[in-house]
Amino acid sequence: MAGIINATPVADPQQYKNVFVFLETREDKLLRPALEMIGVGKTIANKVNEKLYCIILGSDLKDMADEAVSYGCDVVLGAESPDLKTFRTMPYSHIVSNFVKSEKPNIFLIPATRNGRDLASRIAVSCQAGVTADCTEIDIETDTRILLANRPTYGESMLAEILCKRHRPQMATARPGIFPIPEKLKSPKGEIRINKVKIDKSLLKKEILEFRKKEAIDLTAAKVIVAGGMGLGKPEGFKMLGDLSNEIGGVIGATRPTADMGWITRDHQVGQTGQTVRPRFYLAAGISGKIQHIMGMKNSETILSINNDPQAEIFKYSDYVIVDDVYKVVPALLEEIRKYKKEHVGIAVENRESS
Amino acid sequence: MAVEIIVMVKQVPDSQEVVIDPVTMNLNRSMTRNVTNRADENALEAALSIKDKIGANVTVISMGPPQAETTMIECLARGADRAILVSDRFFGGADTYPTGLTLAATISKIGKYDIIIAGEESSDSSTGHVGPGVAEFLDIDQITYASNVDYEDGYVIGERELEDGTEVVKVPTPVLVTVLLNSNDPRRQTLRRKIDAIRKGFEVWNIEKVGLPPEWVGVRGSPTIVRRMRSIKEKERAGKKYDLTNLGELVKELYEKKVLKMEEE
Ligand SMILES: Cc1cc2nc3c(=O)[nH]c(=O)nc-3n(C[C@H](O)[C@H](O)[C@H](O)COP(=O)(O)OP(=O)(O)OC[C@H]3O[C@@H](n4cnc5c(N)ncnc54)[C@H](O)[C@@H]3O)c2cc1C
Ligand SMILES: Cc1cc2nc3c(=O)[nH]c(=O)nc-3n(C[C@H](O)[C@H](O)[C@H](O)COP(=O)(O)OP(=O)(O)OC[C@H]3O[C@@H](n4cnc5c(N)ncnc54)[C@H](O)[C@@H]3O)c2cc1C
Repeated sequence: MAGIINATPVADPQQYKNVFVFLETREDKLLRPALEMIGVGKTIANKVNEKLYCIILGSDLKDMADEAVSYGCDVVLGAESPDLKTFRTMPYSHIVSNFVKSEKPNIFLIPATRNGRDLASRIAVSCQAGVTADCTEIDIETDTRILLANRPTYGESMLAEILCKRHRPQMATARPGIFPIPEKLKSPKGEIRINKVKIDKSLLKKEILEFRKKEAIDLTAAKVIVAGGMGLGKPEGFKMLGDLSNEIGGVIGATRPTADMGWITRDHQVGQTGQTVRPRFYLAAGISGKIQHIMGMKNSETILSINNDPQAEIFKYSDYVIVDDVYKVVPALLEEIRKYKKEHVGIAVENRESS
Repeated sequence: MAVEIIVMVKQVPDSQEVVIDPVTMNLNRSMTRNVTNRADENALEAALSIKDKIGANVTVISMGPPQAETTMIECLARGADRAILVSDRFFGGADTYPTGLTLAATISKIGKYDIIIAGEESSDSSTGHVGPGVAEFLDIDQITYASNVDYEDGYVIGERELEDGTEVVKVPTPVLVTVLLNSNDPRRQTLRRKIDAIRKGFEVWNIEKVGLPPEWVGVRGSPTIVRRMRSIKEKERAGKKYDLTNLGELVKELYEKKVLKMEEE
């Protein structure tokens, strides 16, 4: 749609108003990053007394639109067609660009998921605007309504603050798992505008032959993660961690090389090229603490690490440290946890009954 | 007619030895070695394996400073047929918008293309936005985050790795594909091809050749500006030591501080 065009500064930024977010879906259901976008978008919109618009595409929008409103969306802009049930670049970028061109938002946020990134840069080009990628902090300067988009860089050691002063909309993609999901409103009020659309055949040439769903392990929502690294030495190590994890209601995390080795599936991987997690408790067993792993888990509330090397990097990021062999520590820890639970489960029940 | 494949490659500082100047907080480029972006080696390999199968022409393009010549020679030595370095001082300081624009204009000038292949993202600024940007400028479809790419009778079949599964898609050419890091095993350069490559050389295109106005490209054509860089404050952590003799106390502390709960919801 774009053609060879340059990024043209807008004549009058005052004509651009409100905050837009794109809500990612699967099979006509909102994904978790969609709710995160509503949260961060609403915060920004409130700061400058503007409205939050949510863009939703799909084949049946009613429930998703209601859900978006219940989380704080002021206006739902929907496009509905059987051809939009599954994300496809061409029809999605075409429709979303048109929404942006006609409604002229000041800000447009898109999740930095794979489909989100697939879309974001095309919209930016088509709308002749700039886009900041993969932000972990997003704010707005209230007097100028300039978006302050911050993204980690140089192995997550630095945060770059990136602005688009003269172009509109000011676009950014937001890293999944970072922005909190907002509370549902008690009495939500929102306007729902759903357009039934007909998609031009020329945009529907991509054929989706198949979707092989992975057993969904959402580490980003986990409260407790028990993660293993190469220090486990063999695939069976993950079975041992599984026993511990089951006992404390956790899910298994892993470093990249353990997934490369096939000891565990890729969806357990934490880090730069895996998931970014922030559980209440992160246990790192036999993990060295290389930066690419650290960046995925350093915002965990409490971190316990087990490593037989007293100099291990991971210890710098740990609240609790055990210098010993994982094969000694993990079974012993499991035993202590069972013991503690056995001694206290009675008390917990008694307390509940007496209150 | 042979299938025409264009591969986009970027030269990046070697991520193993990135040095940050503690005063200016900028990347100290003089201290680091430059290498071909690793995912772009996978992009080239994807192109070469299609060439092995059906006999395509593979052209590599890169926008960058003159030292990117090492990347050009390397790509030829791995098996590319032609290499074009798009290089001019006007292109410097580009954000993703004019980077995509310059590459798209170059591709338009090359003329015929069936498949354009890029890496999923660069290892230095890792936006992953350049590939889709180029596709939008050229108004063609795209297959991003592909772990597998195949060509059959005018169609590209790609497997896209999404967060929750693998999507298999089929798109008629022309199409742009971005491939995942480590999605294949890039072939090595051969000495013979390397000698041929040095002898044959690569092309250098300046802004006139690409045919864009200077104010559209480089820093002047970039909507984004980096206003400042801050170092990320790490949370202070105590690193309290326990060992096999007092794990019971650790467990008690974890439960009492509600780090662990009797019932996880
Ligand atoms: C572009 C790129 C992206 C990457 N993305 C990621 C990513 O997303 N996630 C990720 O995790 N990595 C990623 N990596 C890899 C990363 O650099 C490290 O190689 C990796 O995190 C190391 O994994 P590890 O800690 O399991 O292994 P190692 O570094 O080998 O560490 C093993 C540790 O176990 C300890 N140990 C050994 N035996 C025992 C024992 N018996 N008991 C206790 N401790 C023991 C050792 O002391 C050592 O500290 C990436 C790398 C690159 C280049
Ligand atoms: C700290 C920092 C942060 C930045 N953040 C942003 C930002 O948020 N938004 C923004 O617009 N710009 C940003 N930039 C500018 C960005 O680095 C440049 O635009 C760069 O030219 C391309 O972006 P990339 O490296 O992210 O490419 P990616 O989009 O990650 O690269 C994907 C693929 O595109 C191809 N490709 C990319 N560049 C070239 C090239 N020069 N020649 C040939 N092929 C290429 C390769 O196949 C590559 O694998 C940032 C720069 C820095 C230093």
